[in-house]
Amino acid sequence: MIRKYKKQSLLLLTLIMFILPFFLNIYWLDVFTFVLFYVVLAQGLNIVVGYTGLLDLGYAAFFAVGAYTTAILMTTFQWSFWSTLPVAFLLAIISGIIIGTPTLRLRSDYLAIVTLGFGEIVRIVVTNLNITGSASGIYGIPRPSIGGYVISTQKDFYYLILIFAILSVLIVYRLGHSRIGRAWIYIREDEDAAEAMGINRIRLKLLSYASGAVIGSFAGSVFAVKMTAIAPLSFSFLQSVMILLAVVLGGLGSISGVVVGAALVIILPELLRGADDWRYLIFGVALVAMMVFRPQGIWPPQYETEDEDPNDETEDLDGSNTKAPEESPSL
Amino acid sequence: MGIFLQILIDGLVIGAFYSLIALGYTMVYGIIKLLNFAHGDLYMIGAFIGFTLLSFITGDGGLNTSVLGIGMIFVITMILVGFVGMGVERIAYRPLLLAPRLSILITALGVSLSLQYTSMNVWGASYKVYPISLPKNGFEIIGAHISYSQIGMILLSALLMLGLRLFIDKTIYGKAMRAIALDQTACSLMGINVYRIISLTFFIGAFLAAGAGIMSGIYYGTVNFMMGFIIGLKAFTAAVLGGIGNITGAMLGGFVLGILEAYGTFYLGGSWKDVLAFGILILFLVFKPTGILGAKEMERM
Amino acid sequence: MKKYSAFAIGLLLLFSILLSACSDGESSEKKSNDDDISVGVLLPVTGNNATDGKDMLNAMNMAVEKVNDAGGVLGKKIKLEVADDACDPQTATTAANKLVSQGVIAVVGGYCSGATLPATGVFHNANIPMIVAAANSSELPEQGYESLFLINGLVPDQAKTGTDYFEEQGGKNIAIIHDNSAYAKNLADFAKGYVEENGGKVVAFEAINPEEKDFGSLMTKLKALNPDGTYFTGYYAAGGLMVKQFKEKGVSGSFMVGDGSYSPDIIDIAGAENAEGLLVTATPTANFIPGAEEFVEEYKGKYNLSPGPFSALSFNGMNLLVDALERADTTEADALIKALKETENFEAIGQVIEFNDTNSLNQSNFHVMKVENGDFVLEK
Repeated sequence: MIRKYKKQSLLLLTLIMFILPFFLNIYWLDVFTFVLFYVVLAQGLNIVVGYTGLLDLGYAAFFAVGAYTTAILMTTFQWSFWSTLPVAFLLAIISGIIIGTPTLRLRSDYLAIVTLGFGEIVRIVVTNLNITGSASGIYGIPRPSIGGYVISTQKDFYYLILIFAILSVLIVYRLGHSRIGRAWIYIREDEDAAEAMGINRIRLKLLSYASGAVIGSFAGSVFAVKMTAIAPLSFSFLQSVMILLAVVLGGLGSISGVVVGAALVIILPELLRGADDWRYLIFGVALVAMMVFRPQGIWPPQYETEDEDPNDETEDLDGSNTKAPEESPSL
Repeated sequence: MGIFLQILIDGLVIGAFYSLIALGYTMVYGIIKLLNFAHGDLYMIGAFIGFTLLSFITGDGGLNTSVLGIGMIFVITMILVGFVGMGVERIAYRPLLLAPRLSILITALGVSLSLQYTSMNVWGASYKVYPISLPKNGFEIIGAHISYSQIGMILLSALLMLGLRLFIDKTIYGKAMRAIALDQTACSLMGINVYRIISLTFFIGAFLAAGAGIMSGIYYGTVNFMMGFIIGLKAFTAAVLGGIGNITGAMLGGFVLGILEAYGTFYLGGSWKDVLAFGILILFLVFKPTGILGAKEMERM
Repeated sequence: MKKYSAFAIGLLLLFSILLSACSDGESSEKKSNDDDISVGVLLPVTGNNATDGKDMLNAMNMAVEKVNDAGGVLGKKIKLEVADDACDPQTATTAANKLVSQGVIAVVGGYCSGATLPATGVFHNANIPMIVAAANSSELPEQGYESLFLINGLVPDQAKTGTDYFEEQGGKNIAIIHDNSAYAKNLADFAKGYVEENGGKVVAFEAINPEEKDFGSLMTKLKALNPDGTYFTGYYAAGGLMVKQFKEKGVSGSFMVGDGSYSPDIIDIAGAENAEGLLVTATPTANFIPGAEEFVEEYKGKYNLSPGPFSALSFNGMNLLVDALERADTTEADALIKALKETENFEAIGQVIEFNDTNSLNQSNFHVMKVENGDFVLEK
């Protein structure tokens, strides 16, 4: 019953998103375009943090990989936008594995710091290298085209990123409900037990990083052609934090929650213009308050446990409910 | 030779700051296994409270800046920030001590953002110039110029660290801290008020970070609200380098990192300095997570 | 039940946003139908560079007030729409799009080159002329936008002013330091080229992190290289600390900074005694410009502050726009761009504005200033 409504409401939402540009002025269209960017980015991070439970504080690095790959190939080598995507795809997988491999043995707190370190290293490297345009970044990135049609207006880019957003939602949804997704969640809940059950921890963690990286890098590629200019500043630690915030606010591991989270993170500051100085303070307090009072997020994930008592469900989402009290004293 | 010595001293000064901050990281980690992301920001808050108090005494009357007055302000600031540290623990971390790791890490990140932007709203976004500065005279030794303020910074931090060492080794509270680090449950069974000791740990960590904050304000001359972020990461690196959870290790790690960075700047250039530091961090975490002095640990890191 | 409520919240959120978005759209349309001419201002009014951004905004407000008090332009009043770029490229594009959606007829502003670069693309696509008052990376005119005008001297001119000064003073071995910002790197690159062109030698070409405080080992490195002059091209916060540590370490030669560091704050941060003799390449502030006393007095009277480094330029930029509007006799973009392009001998504070082929100044106005007794004086 509920399922049926869900499908209809999703269709309705998609429809609304498709006709939205006709009702918005260029400013709000731009804001919504950024919302969609954040939907893509947050879905990618959702795989890593939400499903697999690996706290990644350097996710903007993957965003940078895609953006810079596309920008360099399009400006220096005159490739077309579409042909840069496979390269961005490959590089994202490689960088996902490079970042993933050393962190496999690490516990989550160390992992957070290592990914943060990687994120900073990527930013510093693109700031220092000449091929990435050093500090001023790369500008004059050409517009992509489909057939003979050049994607150039705000509306075009809105639709382009909308398609990417829908794809990323579908992919992350399918992944989450597949064998792989269930294995990820198992790793998140209890890594040792998962391994004991025959789950290949290393392979799945790497797969999680790589999938997250690919989605982030595609967002980066579109970002590059949309902005026509990219600079290291767009890939800072704060960017990683904002993406994480979208995931946490919405609900770790929840597809619809993350979409709402992304919308909140982008739209709230725009509504609060004039209170710019307070923006990050509000976000900081929101992070703390969410974790203390509602760790499962605004819109927690719905697992396939519909016949169960909803109370059980929330307990599940709090994480390793039975394990934690035993574990922490011994830590 | 002169250059070699000069860089060594430069590195020791940076290292002194890293060490003082790294101590807070390592103590908190040793006791509740939490990476307190917000720790670098307590250093920043310390620098700002010191700034406000010092402006107060220098602005009013002007000549009140005796060594005693400055010393008083040091202590008052450190205590105030110590309470901020306790408050952070009480509000943001204690409710989550039993929650999954991920939640408390995200909380720490939130606290860090909150502290930074509170400070930005209170003191403004631009750089503030510290009301007092140190004389720049010093002496020459085999071609290196060493200023008295450099020596003073190194000595002062060494003094604070020595005090901490004595506190941990000799007092009953120190003993309790060490005990909690070993086995929290057993401690509470033995009648130790675990929460109070955790609170105390946060107090001491914040106290030392605030000390480093004022010292840096006086030594370098400017403060701004983002100053805690990078140095917090570096201090964490130092703590890992020395062996996280190990007090002596944090001190050693701070100085080693400071010196490595100073030589790195000299030979590789300033723009790659941070890459060097984070590179060291990653290498250590991957290949020797217990650090230089860390105990052997069987648990998966 | 729970699912319903979550979904309801989501929908509610979406609709409230839509509603506010639509109402905003309507109101902005109304705005453009008003009797006012709305002019966009793109500046960093929050963040690390907010001080300079606000100084620029003050000067623009002052210019607009004067014009409006004198009856406005084309029979209408000018109304400024301020958008904050926070010196961040991503924020800048959103801000630029906001201005476009508010129907501004032209934009004045631009402080950080890094943020201004992507914003100019937005205005170019919307065919809205922009007068860049401060940002001066040579990459801006290189984009070849017809609608983009720069009234601050460009980076190459500044680099040349600085390096020529070194050469005249007999400085051959020059150290160059930048802070990895778009503008500072640009300036450093050009300075390097000119030093070599002048037959000098760049003994060190270093980058620092702008948030850095300890330049001890960098200064030790410089000291070992014995430079005749050191040129720091970044912003004042790091510049001040560097000047201080430069003096403390006793590095040889003179210290020069670019116009990103041209602010009284650099003297405060370095300490008056260390800043003595510090050289700055910059377009002089109104204080040094003959005939600008009136502007300085008025500015001080109004805001209880001395004009900032880019206040005069911002004032000029706004006046230039008004002048062009009068000449074009319309707010229509193409005519306005044409009028701006045809600007001839526009007498402004401290500069005569006339554009070359790339819509930047025909004649740059960079000078070398020196700190004497805790204040800037004109050196050359």
